[in-house]
Amino acid sequence: MAERTVSVASEVGLHARPAATFVQTAAKAPFDVTIAKAGGAPVSAKSILSVLALDVRQGESIVISAEGEGAEELLDELAKIASAP
Amino acid sequence: MTTVLAPVAGAVIGLAAVPDPVFSQAMVGPGTAIDPVRRPVEAVAPISGTIVKLHPHAYVVVGDDGKGVLVHLGIDTVRLKGEGFRLLAAEGDRVRAGQPVVAWDPAAVEAGGRSPVCPVVALDAPADAVGKIAEGGVDAGDALFEWS
Repeated sequence: MAERTVSVASEVGLHARPAATFVQTAAKAPFDVTIAKAGGAPVSAKSILSVLALDVRQGESIVISAEGEGAEELLDELAKIASAP
Repeated sequence: MTTVLAPVAGAVIGLAAVPDPVFSQAMVGPGTAIDPVRRPVEAVAPISGTIVKLHPHAYVVVGDDGKGVLVHLGIDTVRLKGEGFRLLAAEGDRVRAGQPVVAWDPAAVEAGGRSPVCPVVALDAPADAVGKIAEGGVDAGDALFEWS
């Protein structure tokens, strides 16, 4: 299982454009991808409903996880989106 | 099949006319948008279910079948930090379709230099799942589109 912990930098948190871009990127993966708040229960990173309901605010940490061929590269890409200001 | 109701009265303009590519390119999901009447209004729940997320400027209601609908009150209104919006329900509340959720004034949002256009989006839905989109004018609580 590959994992990244990143701090969400966008002023609006993981909402609107960052959320949509994040979910669209995760949805390309043929394997499961999850997102959780630090210490929280993971939800599907491929679901815009789940990600919006998670309500990650600016400065909060998230843990993104995936397992499969290309998981490391995908997580790098997702981490970049989540940490972009 | 879920009938999604118009959260506010106004003209149905379609997502493509929303001045924000996140919505106009359907990045969030398929649906439509309403150019609201310019007077103080109460935005209502588009479907019956649970309010899983309630911000002053946006809310998500999830039906018992798991379908979630996002209502966004104006564009870039997150930056108003709730000013001019009054919550009429609470996160976690069960609501009936048509029940008031947020009171706001589209004219005030527009006067502040922002678009008051309201995207109404079917979350996690494929593009072809949304149909029978209303045309012309709608009142709050009128059928806006169907989600198969």
